[in-house]
Amino acid sequence: MEFLDLLMLGFGEAMTPANLGFCLIGALLGTLIGVLPGIGPTATIAVLLPITFFLPPLAGIIMLAGIYYGAQYGGSTTAVLVNLPGEASSVVTALDGYQMARQGRAGAALAVAALGSFFAGTVATFAIALAGPTLSGFALSFGPAEYVSLMLFGLLAATILASGPVLKAIGMILIGLLLGMVGTDAETGAERLTFGALELFDGIDFIVIAIGVFGFAEIITNLERSGSEGVSVAPLTRLWPTREDFRASWRAVLRGTGIGTFLGLLPGGGATLASFSAYSLEKKVSRHPQKFGTGVVEGVAAPEAANNAAAQSSFIPLLTLGIPSNNMMAMMLSAFMIHGITPGPSVLTNQPEIFWGLVASMWIGNLLLVIINLPLIGLWVRLLTVPYRLLYPAILLFCCIGVYSMNNRIFDVVLAAGFGLLGYVFRKANCEPGPLLLGFVLGPLLEANLRRAMLITQGDPSIFVERPISLTMLVATVILLALMIMPSFRKTRGEAFQEEEA
Amino acid sequence: MAAPGTQRGDRPDLLTAGLFIGIGMLGLVMSRHLDFGSLARMGPGFMPRIVCLLLVAVGLIVGIPALRRPAHAIEAVRARPLVVITVAIVGFAFAVTHFGFVAASLWLVITGSLADPGGRWRTVLLLAAGLTAFGALVFVKTLGVQVPLWPL
Repeated sequence: MEFLDLLMLGFGEAMTPANLGFCLIGALLGTLIGVLPGIGPTATIAVLLPITFFLPPLAGIIMLAGIYYGAQYGGSTTAVLVNLPGEASSVVTALDGYQMARQGRAGAALAVAALGSFFAGTVATFAIALAGPTLSGFALSFGPAEYVSLMLFGLLAATILASGPVLKAIGMILIGLLLGMVGTDAETGAERLTFGALELFDGIDFIVIAIGVFGFAEIITNLERSGSEGVSVAPLTRLWPTREDFRASWRAVLRGTGIGTFLGLLPGGGATLASFSAYSLEKKVSRHPQKFGTGVVEGVAAPEAANNAAAQSSFIPLLTLGIPSNNMMAMMLSAFMIHGITPGPSVLTNQPEIFWGLVASMWIGNLLLVIINLPLIGLWVRLLTVPYRLLYPAILLFCCIGVYSMNNRIFDVVLAAGFGLLGYVFRKANCEPGPLLLGFVLGPLLEANLRRAMLITQGDPSIFVERPISLTMLVATVILLALMIMPSFRKTRGEAFQEEEA
Repeated sequence: MAAPGTQRGDRPDLLTAGLFIGIGMLGLVMSRHLDFGSLARMGPGFMPRIVCLLLVAVGLIVGIPALRRPAHAIEAVRARPLVVITVAIVGFAFAVTHFGFVAASLWLVITGSLADPGGRWRTVLLLAAGLTAFGALVFVKTLGVQVPLWPL
């Protein structure tokens, strides 16, 4: 009964006109950037983070969450219609989705994708509502040692489950940790790594790094790849899928939802990994695996359900443990922090309206997405013809205003430009900058908890293996490390991400 | 690009190694005067030094095998967007405090547009005017970003 009361409280919060409006804005913006290639959700949220400062906490978080899952919908629209995945998570959708579109079944593909996503979103939202109270009750028994082990596990797992070379990702996390230490040491008051600059005594703002490395650097790299090839839009025919399509896809949607909800929970999981895994699973269990890639509806339904489920369930570790599992969640964490809310078990007890309001708004947002997406597909596709030449000055301006409005300082903008250059060099070195954000956000938490754990035991590290939860995490970390060294696992991991690079 | 076989070295990986080792060394130098402390009482220098040492180690592990791999070039660098965008941003930062939002925004959009050679002046000017009006209305008037609109 209490569960229903809390859910009602959440819907009450999420249904206020203002919050409903921000949910809609978030979903629309998310769809927009999902449709436009070259602008990712990470960069968009980085740009909009400073703006949420002017909104009430729940409204800001609802909007940012809407952008995140909205982008999953939008990305699939262009993947199906023009073979141009707007987001990394819809790369596999393009394989079968575009083939369907070429056979004149674009409408069916889009409808299956939207309905599958909606179903997956609903299930994942319920998973959050159910898992939230349980997990955060569990998290209340966490001491500093458990947190240290959990973060080590999270950081390492994030590098292995994400695409790209593991060692580079570890290096990027270390750089992130180092950047997180810039400024005055919380415990001793000593200033660290500040180059003596007064402006750095309070540390570097998350937004400065995020906008520099994602916003500015992305604009520069996009401009280097000149010449956008002509976009040919597949004709849109009847929208509603046939009964045949429904029969073929409902199992795929169920499997995709399951795999997505589970993978979203894991550190580094998130939407991209989920859609790739769902696609390969579907290919394995299918009775006609050779047909995949020629326009089978399961090949659209499964990854679309999976990426949406994962986008939602990746909120679970953040909301219950206070630990972000990927760089999008690192963004969300800092959105909470801007409003003075530290995500974690205490939010659920002290500010239940935030947690339940967000959960309820996710379900509403998913419903809104189906409503705004299906009739408006034609409009979104027309947006593809807007040249990047007209888009990037706008993004540039929003980035600059965003960074400046944090503290009204020239310094921050110049520093962000510096991080833009750094991000550009990272891209030239084929280093994916996502893990850097994760390291930056977790760095201070990791250091504080490590210090506390060592202070309690007077420098005896055996506490990490004596406490059962901590031991489990460390064992899992060691197993992951061992797996990584094994050649057969490396091969499988390479295959899992192979299609992405193609 | 040289013919395969004559040159060795995976350039992106070598660049990565250089970055990791360079940043790690820089961090070590900058934290040299910080107290390391002990395990029980970690000083401010404890974590930075450990992280920097790990970073240098990762850099070496990435870099050494890359030396022996066949040559692999870095994607070509095009100076125009890199320089133009950076100059536009830094210029915006100074202009916005000294000349107000309108001037800074016009500067940012117009100079920023030079990064793409295909732009036409008419479009750029229209875009600059539109974005500046939008920014002034939404950010300065509605959201209350603390910026003067005009030069003081």
